[in-house]
Amino acid sequence: MSQETTPADVQIDPRGYRFGAAVTLVLSVAAVVLGVSWPGIVLMFLLAVLFLPGATVGPQATLQALVFKKAIRPRLGKPTETESFRPPRFAQQMGLGFSILAIVLGVWGPAWGYFLFAGFVAVASFLNSVFGFCLGCEIYLVAKRATTRSA
Amino acid sequence: MIERLLVMTAVLVVAAAAWWWWSQRQGVVTQVDNAPRLSADDLGAPRGYRATFVQFSTPMCAKCPPTAALLQAVAAERTQVTHVEIDASERLDLARTFDIMRTPTTLVLDGEGRVVVRMSGAPSIGQAREALDTVPPPTDYSI
Repeated sequence: MSQETTPADVQIDPRGYRFGAAVTLVLSVAAVVLGVSWPGIVLMFLLAVLFLPGATVGPQATLQALVFKKAIRPRLGKPTETESFRPPRFAQQMGLGFSILAIVLGVWGPAWGYFLFAGFVAVASFLNSVFGFCLGCEIYLVAKRATTRSA
Repeated sequence: MIERLLVMTAVLVVAAAAWWWWSQRQGVVTQVDNAPRLSADDLGAPRGYRATFVQFSTPMCAKCPPTAALLQAVAAERTQVTHVEIDASERLDLARTFDIMRTPTTLVLDGEGRVVVRMSGAPSIGQAREALDTVPPPTDYSI
């Protein structure tokens, strides 16, 4: 998942990606409510497109981050703390993967797979935006332990 | 449509409850029995004569850098207590031995390298001090 070349760390404003997660929450809940239909699948596609820059460059490169920088941060003032971009980038990679799975299962079925993965994106973005809790970051070590054979 | 909205809302309520339960367990100090000893070689860093905080982190862990700063500050309050940070995704051997499922997880060693207690999740400053207080004083060999 993570690139082996480790470029310099980028410190980001955690309120920025929490705002981004709130946008994701609204879109993914709407996608679940619309169900397996063209409007729903188009929303999941829009989500995947929004996740793409966050999953590759980092959450500071997303459209939501741009909106946050231009329209919201000037009203909030400077952040009291900053965080590494790596944990939320990993979360964005998971978001991108789940959105793509939701689209694939929405188009070719089974339909429950669409609800499972769109619902997962909704739950993860809900916990991130409301509580500042990064589900993907918690899963990272467990996933790494499960997928790597004994060192 | 309305059923799906209700189900989605219920799922989010359950997620919020699960998060609350999880957040209450952050940093709680728990006793460890019969864990293997950790030497300076295992850690790749010298142990503290009195006690050692062994913090397991990953590069994907947002709460790890603030926890490292907190544990370093608590270690600095006492004499001969050190803090060692280990990347659990690189030291999967240690992560498996000590069953590290999440980061940060901190093991507290006594002067002999025995694991006395562990804290899963980010501890508060009070929890970090409480963990150190449970460490028995080192055996005095200078007879």
